[in-house]
Amino acid sequence: MDATGGARDAGPFGGRALTVALLGNPNTGKSSLFTALAGIPTRVANYPGVTVEEKVGRFVHRGRSIELIDLPGTYSLSPKSPDEAVAVDVLRGRVEGVPVPECVVLVVDATNIERNLYLASQALELGLPTVIALSLSDVAQERGIEINVDELARRLGCAVVPVVAPRRQGITGLADAILAATASRPPAGLLGELGAVDQSHTAPAREAIGRYAWIEGVLEGVVRRRVVVRSIDDRIDRIVTHRLWGTLLFAATMLAVFSSIFWLATPAMEAISSGIDQVSEWTRAILPEGAIRSLLVDGILAGAGSVVVFVPQIALLFLWIALLEGCGYLSRAAFLMDRLLVGVGLSGKSFIPLLSSFACAIPGIMAARTIENRRDRLLTILLAPLMSCSARLPVYLLLSGAFVPNVAVAGIGWLRLPAVVLVCLYALGVVVAAAVAFVLTRTVFRGPPQPFVMELPGWRWPRGAVVLERVREATWSFVANAGTLILAVSVVIWALSSYPHDEGAIDAEVARERETLSARLRPGALPVIDAEDATILGEHLAALDTPEGLEAARRGAAQRQSFLGRAGRLIEPVVRPLGWDWRIGCAAIASFPAREVVLGTLGVIYNLGDADPGEEEGATALVRRLRSATWDDSGRKVFTLPVALSIMVFFALCAQCASTLVVIGRETGSWVWPAVSFTSMTVLAWLGALLTYQIGTALLP
Amino acid sequence: MRGPIPGEVDVASLKEVAVGSTAEVAVVSGCDPMTERLLEMGITPGVRVKVVGRAPLGDPLELEVRGYRLSIRRNDAARVMVCAERAGALIGDAVVPR
Repeated sequence: MDATGGARDAGPFGGRALTVALLGNPNTGKSSLFTALAGIPTRVANYPGVTVEEKVGRFVHRGRSIELIDLPGTYSLSPKSPDEAVAVDVLRGRVEGVPVPECVVLVVDATNIERNLYLASQALELGLPTVIALSLSDVAQERGIEINVDELARRLGCAVVPVVAPRRQGITGLADAILAATASRPPAGLLGELGAVDQSHTAPAREAIGRYAWIEGVLEGVVRRRVVVRSIDDRIDRIVTHRLWGTLLFAATMLAVFSSIFWLATPAMEAISSGIDQVSEWTRAILPEGAIRSLLVDGILAGAGSVVVFVPQIALLFLWIALLEGCGYLSRAAFLMDRLLVGVGLSGKSFIPLLSSFACAIPGIMAARTIENRRDRLLTILLAPLMSCSARLPVYLLLSGAFVPNVAVAGIGWLRLPAVVLVCLYALGVVVAAAVAFVLTRTVFRGPPQPFVMELPGWRWPRGAVVLERVREATWSFVANAGTLILAVSVVIWALSSYPHDEGAIDAEVARERETLSARLRPGALPVIDAEDATILGEHLAALDTPEGLEAARRGAAQRQSFLGRAGRLIEPVVRPLGWDWRIGCAAIASFPAREVVLGTLGVIYNLGDADPGEEEGATALVRRLRSATWDDSGRKVFTLPVALSIMVFFALCAQCASTLVVIGRETGSWVWPAVSFTSMTVLAWLGALLTYQIGTALLP
Repeated sequence: MRGPIPGEVDVASLKEVAVGSTAEVAVVSGCDPMTERLLEMGITPGVRVKVVGRAPLGDPLELEVRGYRLSIRRNDAARVMVCAERAGALIGDAVVPR
């Protein structure tokens, strides 16, 4: 726990802070009420032992310091999931380090008051001072739902305050009611009032019938027009869930969501990258060459760049999520896709997080926050990195373009083999993810099935304030929590790829290389090389005499001699069965900070210096260099079709992305899951690459 | 699980109720968390539930109960036994067509 921990320490105005718990059904505007009351949370952590977020905020009202604990949304106090169990445990004071709340603020959705009062009927039995915040009261009013608040308060025996959280209406009144409630006696329990129920029903049925009968009694004469499903809701729903129109609308929406994070975010990401490049250039110009400059530019600035570069995608995805959630479409999207995901043990709510992961796993994993069920959320987080993200695409494009023969498939002229390979790589991730989900839900995640019910809220316009808060929260939590750690990892990787740095050894290696190249080009040298290779090797040798070529060769030698390069040599026996030489192994390890650097690393290792493989010129140079690469011990070519395929399969399945692992750690609140994710994906990737190479070599002589 | 309610006709599960029809819940069978959750969500014996629609892929169902909309899977709907009502009944202000 951080410095703001210790819930009952003195507030800024002296005196003990009052602990207040915020309880309510999911999707009742609880989060916006939290923001309206306490502003930005002072602490976001996980409850001890469970991956359930503990959000705590602090505010001062009339000189009294109040600590507000946001409980996970729950439908009842007889919990059906770990999240719901946490809410109950906090209310009963059973969570270590969290004091028993001195007051409960119960959020009741005014547009769905009957169902929401079920939780109220249980909460009022806790014997804690309780205040009811009647949320969405403006929407209720628009829909013609009139609630006699005073009479409702009298019947419930506690204060009822109508609030419109995004507009801060009723917030002061609510805070006043909290202070007043803690000063008075808690409401009397209701159990005695639950009338006699037909004994032929089961115990849970008797409880539900009794409570709903009580609710009906409470609402009798208090609420005019309890029914909130309007004809407009009906009409919209009929289109949105229509077999044809609904499916088309869904496809269009998902296309819009996906293209905005896949393409729309790109200019912003490029702007950020070039901004960072600019700063790097200035730093390079100001500081003298050396370790400090390298640390600043290649370590810290590059690391910071790799954090900030994700912000546009995260912000855009959460903008979409907040808009879709705000209008009510998010749950309809889950409704439409549920059937597709039930087969692998998930629910429709995993669809958007998994779809987003095709652009980038990081916003995808963060989008899993919209899944209330802990097990489903965890499983979605573990599957997300298996979707081929945009960082893998350049690897696929370069290698399939260079090494997969550009021939027609099945005699269809426009269907080219490289394109088919590309589609297969995308499909591979999905198929493996489905298989992993199938296995996990029957082993590690086996357990009592957690009930799936999903509310489909009435349609409404999204609220600007709520949408902006959601975007801010997601972006900020990424930058502040994951960002710092990603930066730290980048600096560590920089150190590993820069040290040890021995000028003498580097010079010696460059000299050796010059010798090897000359030896291979000497007439009569074995193995015999063809004319094309002779040209490439000749160019390579000639480049060593230019200042840039020499610099590139020295950088390559430095990289190969660094800890990372040595690790590459060390793992050669492991990657040899995949058809890889130690250079490829080295590049695979060096791509750990982010998959997209693998091509850059290959460029450096193959002495191309900073030639950008993302651009045509750099890519052509890299392809030429790769094509001429041979094994150190024989003249055999390294890059053959099976090797290229095995590299691509490896990258399709591996977890070589430090940022993703950091985000998994942050979102699950445990370092076990990133470790599990990394290990299992690396094993899968290795096995996949092994099968590809071995079968490929057997089939292609 | 309880059998058909004596004196009632047409006892079926909610899963079999036609889209657009309304039915009165007789029994929610079972004793597991799913049954409890259905009851907590307001699907209690005696309440009227309308089957509003079905997802294009056939599952889950969209229900209307106690003035709000809820989605449950067909498998789970099978444990809600209902006495079918005549189609065209009124629920709140939403008029069932046909």
